[in-house]
Amino acid sequence: MNALVIKALAFAAVLIVGTLIVVKQMNIDLSDPINALTMLGAVAIAVLAFGVSAKYIAQMKTDTAQGELAEENWDGIGEYKNELPAGWAYSFLGTLIWALWYWQFGYPVNAYSQIGEWNEETKAYNKKFEEAHKTTDKATLKEMGESIFLVQCAPCHGTTGDGLSGKAQDFGARMTKEQILYTIEHGSNQLGYPMGAMPPGMASGKDAEEIAAWIAGGMKGEQPAAFATCAGCHGADGKGNNGMSPNLAEYDLTLVQHTLEHGKKGMIGKMPSFKTRMTPVQEKALTEYIQSLKN
Amino acid sequence: MFHWLEKNPFLFSVGVFLVIAFAGIIEILPNFAEASRPVAGLRPYTVLELAGKEVYKKDNCIACHSQLIRPFKAETDRYGQYSLSGEYAYDRPFLWGSKRTGPDLHRVGDYRTTDWHENHMWDPTSVVPGSIMPAYKHQFKNIADLETAYAEAVTVKNVFNVPYGDDIKPGKEAWEAYKPKVLAEAKKIAADMKNKDVKDAVARGEVPEIVAMIAYLNALGSSRYEAKK
Repeated sequence: MNALVIKALAFAAVLIVGTLIVVKQMNIDLSDPINALTMLGAVAIAVLAFGVSAKYIAQMKTDTAQGELAEENWDGIGEYKNELPAGWAYSFLGTLIWALWYWQFGYPVNAYSQIGEWNEETKAYNKKFEEAHKTTDKATLKEMGESIFLVQCAPCHGTTGDGLSGKAQDFGARMTKEQILYTIEHGSNQLGYPMGAMPPGMASGKDAEEIAAWIAGGMKGEQPAAFATCAGCHGADGKGNNGMSPNLAEYDLTLVQHTLEHGKKGMIGKMPSFKTRMTPVQEKALTEYIQSLKN
Repeated sequence: MFHWLEKNPFLFSVGVFLVIAFAGIIEILPNFAEASRPVAGLRPYTVLELAGKEVYKKDNCIACHSQLIRPFKAETDRYGQYSLSGEYAYDRPFLWGSKRTGPDLHRVGDYRTTDWHENHMWDPTSVVPGSIMPAYKHQFKNIADLETAYAEAVTVKNVFNVPYGDDIKPGKEAWEAYKPKVLAEAKKIAADMKNKDVKDAVARGEVPEIVAMIAYLNALGSSRYEAKK
């Protein structure tokens, strides 16, 4: 064994010991198979790197030029004929041919699109999602609704759904008195309910005030006589005639769906449409969560 | 085996170039064919929106916000439909960005509105608790450079055939004739805003940067080609 190899092995040993010190200091558990394998790899790298270096350094010390020169040379600088090993060359050509087959038939380039993959993934996921949540209980829906709310709704309605001091709808209550008066004055035709447009000025003055106060107060106590005008469309209980017109008492599924679909511009500002951004189950979940925000 | 190749340096160079360029070519060439084609019904940015785009560039929104939604479910769930190359046909330059310190904005017009942007640009934490975005209050005071935006519209119309109407043409007079249209658009935005100074400025015929900015942000998204519905 010559001095060079001994030096190389010494270097390798230093590197391995250094690695072991680091392993020790970081409290890495070598009985874990992954860690043990990694350590083994580190040892192999140290030994191979210095071993191979030692071999070639030793060879350089004694090597002389030999072999047959190739015909071509550049300003007198030539190269030896040093043919590729046949096995290597044939497998290289083989992989080229295989690659052509792979592009054309194995995994055809022209049959793939990233968007196609997105479509398939989303379709499969949505199907699985709807299937999995067919009979989900209310508690799960509420939890799901909260996570949707935090991503999609919270930027405007606030993380607690309070509307950020009047910047958006406050889900603690259905409508404020001012909002009701505004809607009575201006009418509304935005949510696309089967009942159609609500014309402006259905009530005015004291009647409007009474209606607004009663609805904003949670529809408690005696119904004002003027509410008869509203009851024609919104139902005697104000709950919207089973989805024919907006529910004035609470945020039901129909109301959430219609608002998400059409958006709404009211006294506070404008909410854009969130069409196609949620699946039916997610809409149900969101409704469940919004209802839980009631003061 | 390959000595014949080394004896022909030129052929060898061409071969090397082709091999190295191959992956790039199959990715890039199909896009060259499509890139200049706008998606059906896409309208170019209005002059006010162009002025807002200049503000977007000037205040360096691109440093923290991207404008490119990749076709991954996690992104489409949050930001809406993935971006199409044809949507950028009138973006010169496109503002894809490469870093998301804040969220992607390519479809922000689909899910945020004028009043939200007004609150947010004045004080981001008032609507997004914990936001690290700085306030952009100067946009409420600085006046937008509508003339440069108009000149940009004229230029892209003449050089790249961007389909603007006949009323967009060179010259000071043409701009004076066109200006009321821009102001009318600005008034529509200001009507949905609450800041009194901004409303007053627009009423006077001056357009603060925030108005142009909001016009631009509202135009980001599908509204530029689905508006006819």
